[in-house]
Amino acid sequence: MNMSLTPDVPGISLVEELCLLAIEDDGSVASTAGEPAFGMGVVGACLVELCLRGRLDADVQPAEGEGGPRTMLLVLASEPTGEPALDEVLTQVAAGPQQAVVEWTRALFPHAGILVKLALDRLQARGIIESREARFLWVLKSRKYPVIEGRELQEAKLRISAVLLGDAIPTPSDSVLIGLASISGLLRGFLSGSELRRLEERILEVGSLDLVARGVERAIEEEVAFRARAMMVPHM
Amino acid sequence: MEIVIDERPGATVVALKGRLDFEAAAAAQSQLQALLVRPEGVHALVIDGSELSYVSSAGLRVFLTLAKDAKAASTPLVVAALHPSAAEVFEISGFAQAKILDIRDTVDAGIAAVTA
Repeated sequence: MNMSLTPDVPGISLVEELCLLAIEDDGSVASTAGEPAFGMGVVGACLVELCLRGRLDADVQPAEGEGGPRTMLLVLASEPTGEPALDEVLTQVAAGPQQAVVEWTRALFPHAGILVKLALDRLQARGIIESREARFLWVLKSRKYPVIEGRELQEAKLRISAVLLGDAIPTPSDSVLIGLASISGLLRGFLSGSELRRLEERILEVGSLDLVARGVERAIEEEVAFRARAMMVPHM
Repeated sequence: MEIVIDERPGATVVALKGRLDFEAAAAAQSQLQALLVRPEGVHALVIDGSELSYVSSAGLRVFLTLAKDAKAASTPLVVAALHPSAAEVFEISGFAQAKILDIRDTVDAGIAAVTA
């Protein structure tokens, strides 16, 4: 019998796995990584990983006024984890006011680029990816991150696929990875369009079974809706 | 948090009383896992949540991990009689809607579900 061990801390962190899933076969970064959903997903992955490591927790606090109940982020400990992306988020949360997960996701979103860079740097330092300058049309510089052996990326994809295509119950960490990868459009990297349509209900069933991840998803949905309205206004 | 175990015919009822936060989560998870692997076995588990007045994100992970481990052990698992605060957390986190956990209104309904 395969018993789950706690704490649920993988070999590489959630934010590193999410960034790995954003790297395509040729080492380029998926176009969906430019969307706010991915940036907020990266913030969310850091927040959840900090919860798994005992630095943060979250709970539901009663509604104030007309608003509904809010999922609030709680600081349990501010000792650094040794992972730069996580510690960047932890420093900000520990120094800031107590606020809801949705509010923290929005507040930290401007730092998403830095968090991605720190996660990629760490993946590179661990020998999981390389960093190479590439040229587009022989002129425009871009950076590629070819995966070196692919073991960690393959493992992540296999774990996700095993949960989605079977009836296994995910670990708390994998549940969040599935939810954030789905909302960031990263599952399209290894599941076909027809598979994703078929698995829509399953993704909803097993993804983001976590208070923090749900708060992050709410922030993403609100941001997407806000941008859609902003695009429509000039035409009305 | 207090954990009270009550052996009933066909099911072990485990009452979780108080706060299931990060501090209580590790011990709770260990005790629940120990039930699944105890030498005399366990026919079925019913978690009585009637006095579970607080569940944090860490506490939710205990339930998800328990669901995973119970499935691996082929042990029927039901969560029953959730305190309104805990029920709200289950609702917001998606646990209530997911079919991963069998959630019943009363402990008796939970026992009936696993002994049927």
